[in-house]
Amino acid sequence: MKVSREWLESFIDIDVSTDELSETITRGGIEVDAIEDYTKDIKKLVVGYVKSVEPHPEADRLNICQVDLGEETVQIVCGAPNVKADSYVIVVRVGGRLPGGVKIKRAKLRGQLSEGMICSLQEIGIKEDFVPEAYKEGIFIFDSEQTAGEDALSALYLNDQVLEFDLTPNRKDALSMLGVAYETSALFGGMIRKPKIEYTESDERAETSIENLNLDAVPFYSAREVKNVVIKPSPLWMQVRLIKAGIRPINNVVDISNYVLLEYGQPLHMFDKDAIGSDKIVTRFAEEGETFTTLDGNERTLKAEDVVITNGQEPIALAGVMGGLNSEVTDKTKNVVIESAYFDPIKIRKTSHRLNLRSEASQRFEKGVSHEFILPALNRAAYLLEQYAEGTVQAGIQSDGQLDLEPKKITTSTDFLNNRLGTELSDDEVLDTLGRLGLLAEIEAGQLEVSIPSRRDDLVIPEDISEEVARIYGYDNIPSSLPKYSKITAGKLTDEQAKLRVIKHQLNAHGLSEAINYALTSDKRIGEFSELKDSLNLLMPMSEDRAALRTSLLPHLVDNATYNLNRQLKHASLFEVGKIFKTNGQDQLPEEILMLAGIMSGRQNETAWTKDGQDPDFFTLKGVVESLFIKLNLNDRISYVKSQRFEELHPGRTADIYLDDKVIGVIGELHPLYREAHDLKQTVVFELNLEEVLAEKTGNIVYEFLSKYPSISRDVALEVDNTVLVKDIEDLITDAAPNYLQAVYPFDVYEGEHIEEGKKSVALRLTYLNKEDTLTDKDVESVHQKVLDALVNKGYIVR
Amino acid sequence: MTVEMTTIYDEFKEKLSNITSRQALADLKVQYLGKKGQVTGLMKEMKNLSNEEKPAYGQKVNELRQNITSDIDRIDEELHKEELDKILSEETIDVTLPGRAKEIGGPHPITRIIDDIEDFFIGLGYEIKEGFEVEQDYYNFEALNLPKSHPARDMQDTFYISEEILLRTHTSPVQARTLEEKKGVGPVKIICPGKVYRRDSDDATHSHQFTQIEGLVVDKNIHLSDLKGTLELFAKKMFGNERQVRLRPSYFPFTEPSVEVDISCFKCKGAGCNVCKQSGWIEILGAGMVHPNVLEMAGFDSTEYSGFAFGMGPDRVAMLKYGIEDIRHLYTNDLRFIDQFIPTEDGGLEDESI
Repeated sequence: MKVSREWLESFIDIDVSTDELSETITRGGIEVDAIEDYTKDIKKLVVGYVKSVEPHPEADRLNICQVDLGEETVQIVCGAPNVKADSYVIVVRVGGRLPGGVKIKRAKLRGQLSEGMICSLQEIGIKEDFVPEAYKEGIFIFDSEQTAGEDALSALYLNDQVLEFDLTPNRKDALSMLGVAYETSALFGGMIRKPKIEYTESDERAETSIENLNLDAVPFYSAREVKNVVIKPSPLWMQVRLIKAGIRPINNVVDISNYVLLEYGQPLHMFDKDAIGSDKIVTRFAEEGETFTTLDGNERTLKAEDVVITNGQEPIALAGVMGGLNSEVTDKTKNVVIESAYFDPIKIRKTSHRLNLRSEASQRFEKGVSHEFILPALNRAAYLLEQYAEGTVQAGIQSDGQLDLEPKKITTSTDFLNNRLGTELSDDEVLDTLGRLGLLAEIEAGQLEVSIPSRRDDLVIPEDISEEVARIYGYDNIPSSLPKYSKITAGKLTDEQAKLRVIKHQLNAHGLSEAINYALTSDKRIGEFSELKDSLNLLMPMSEDRAALRTSLLPHLVDNATYNLNRQLKHASLFEVGKIFKTNGQDQLPEEILMLAGIMSGRQNETAWTKDGQDPDFFTLKGVVESLFIKLNLNDRISYVKSQRFEELHPGRTADIYLDDKVIGVIGELHPLYREAHDLKQTVVFELNLEEVLAEKTGNIVYEFLSKYPSISRDVALEVDNTVLVKDIEDLITDAAPNYLQAVYPFDVYEGEHIEEGKKSVALRLTYLNKEDTLTDKDVESVHQKVLDALVNKGYIVR
Repeated sequence: MTVEMTTIYDEFKEKLSNITSRQALADLKVQYLGKKGQVTGLMKEMKNLSNEEKPAYGQKVNELRQNITSDIDRIDEELHKEELDKILSEETIDVTLPGRAKEIGGPHPITRIIDDIEDFFIGLGYEIKEGFEVEQDYYNFEALNLPKSHPARDMQDTFYISEEILLRTHTSPVQARTLEEKKGVGPVKIICPGKVYRRDSDDATHSHQFTQIEGLVVDKNIHLSDLKGTLELFAKKMFGNERQVRLRPSYFPFTEPSVEVDISCFKCKGAGCNVCKQSGWIEILGAGMVHPNVLEMAGFDSTEYSGFAFGMGPDRVAMLKYGIEDIRHLYTNDLRFIDQFIPTEDGGLEDESI
């Protein structure tokens, strides 16, 4: 909604600057997005009287005009095709300025002196879209006598600023000048002047009959007839006010309809009475598939939920959305039927959205128009047609349906308002605040009863009254406090939330940075690194790349690695915590699974001058993952089993990660084909089901006394088939030595020329400890021999 | 000392004065104090002495042994020091060379912001609640006083999966679900961070995915003034002690009254600059008193209970705080971007980076 200050002043006196007006309105709850200042960058713009026009001797398209500027008459060379003698025009004088940084200087055009410039509306800052057709291709010419030399902006009603409102959906009351005047009055005080309605009805009665076939769709429909109108341009003030509101003037009849819409927020429609084709207006639902040509010339196929205005047979307008081509007001129109109605908001909204026809009218009907303005708007339009189109207003208003003009009541109390707001307002303060809003209210026995006129039918419940009181009383005046709870509860992170933070910190410390990727991905990436091959898809994706919900975090992390390494970074180590989505069908909620994934690509920890650094391999990343499980006290329950589940991963260098006997993730090197397709060198990744990990309760730390006795180590060197896993050897040893064995770990693994093909040598170190007593060689020998026996029995060669 | 002993000691002193290495000193030590050494040899003479003479003689030999030992130890210490000085003078390094790299990663700036916000509200006794990113229309809209026909549904363009299933457009469904869980009994004090989705084309200021963090307090006797006080504390903690808070009336279907919350600009201190678009204020939160319909739908008696709710965008907070010019940086995962957020920061100070 664009609100001209000059127009608003016709409704209410304003004695503050436009900036203050704007600021107070903003603080009152209507955000003023911008102030459009029509005087900005304009200097020395005056009304000129064109005394004579002579063709330029040297140029076909130029004319030499003698223009009276009041104090003096100057010669101006003008190229506009519509310049004519004996006309009043806008002139910018020498030394003046126009928007866009234009400075006017004395000039010679093809040898002829030109002292100033005759302007078009575009040149003084009016947007092309709003310039009336007649002036589009040339200069502006006043339609009435003016005083030469006067300030042209004032003469054009453009000595003005326009406030551009960004209205929230609940403030439909401010979709009219009258509504804005009420708001201004609530904020500043002051009386409101309503628009003048003083027509004289003719003796002849209006003859059109009205019938609403469905009163839910059209609860009220009224019409007036105005005969013998003369179609011509509307008066300048009306045209300019429309322009300032963002509407292009067309002709007096159409302009009056738009003007009244802006005054009352009540959209009207003007029918050419003689084109209706009957003396009846019947409103009804459209028939499914019925076609109808709207006045923009498009044929529309209607649905049974659309509401149409008909002549009893066929549609003549699409209710609240657009008129019909068949009944449009044209240059030849003589007699007019004015429509002023209430249409069901939801029906209008559906139709206008479906047909993508959003207009000044439909946006008001969609929010519900005010019953109290339906008839005043109708009468005001009749009056204006009488005044500015020389029409005759036929007697009577034709209508069908009921207006609801009885104010609604909201019952609440000062105590309630104070409780919700945290204020200590007195009854009088509350009544005073409501009075400023123009709401009648009274307090009796502690009950506050507020009467709500239809222009504020957005106010329904006591909380709505609390908002009105708060915003007029002023949010700055509301005190600050902290809640006094009925029960004190401590705030804390859950175990899962606390552990997640630890995981993130630890991954950061290992050199991985945190990524956040989009959850929406391309269909093609579904199933990569995942056993979920079906995806949950958007009904209407905006692009192919964002059509489905991801089933793994890894595809986007791989993209991130490629992105970074393509930008001259030496390495990329990233992790992400986020959800993947396991579909249960498009019309069910999916299973959302919180995952943790990581990637390492490029040389890590490189110190150039020492030649230190590693290309990340399986074990680099496994070390990181193990450190997480140590931190989470789960490492003893984690195992790694070679896996070929995913074709994106190297078949020999990939493992499933088990927690007890449950697979909770995967770790591995990217398959050479996959990584080449993504322009990467050796790259390792992992992905874990974080929910499984975080769901484990590991309790508190159990402290053990430090042993006073030393431990004893024994090394074992074995020759085994190269298919034997170190884990299997470790398990065998652990089983064979139930006492004293503290730890067993491999310290050398060798496969190569010094050993038989198909074999490998594995050296392990076993550490024995008796926490209670000194461990003797004899004690160790007895258990260690069992270990050796077990290894030999298994067929391993002990060396 | 006997004459013999004096001779031995003088000879020893003579030899000691010529010693230049610890090895030669060790040899000299053996020569005098070793099993076959000269001093040891003197002890062997004991057996030829009478019992009366033995103690005095033994004492003299020991005296000699002690003198020699202490001389050797002294010289050894000197030589050791000389040797070490020589080695240390050769072992000098260039301390300006870089250390062996230990790469560290950075937290995502959004995570930093969310953690800070969470920690503040945990301090006020709030819990953190998370919810579904794919939601039912009911929890995303209807339970929040946005029935299907509500015009405010235009305000947020939604990614639908089917008629009833959608990507949540805000974290408010977590509030609706949490209220429902509480079965009409307060207090409720929660903070809900999470990812949300809107049908927006990605550009410098729009992202189809972004994050939101919302707070909700429901109890008996919760006032709008409590919201104001809470957010004033929050603004000071997040943006510095001098921050002021301003409430402006606004509209959200799930709150009544609804307010926009501005904080005084932390760059220009309210004087007007490019960050606050010359207004001196930065819009940072939407908030309000929970609409009675929302309370009632979740099983709370709206005459007994009231509450406030607020929501903000960590993406926007991060962009404002750090002066990030393009929201897409937050989702591109360019390490040159993320790794700027490795260092720790001090709280409550001026943000110099913007």
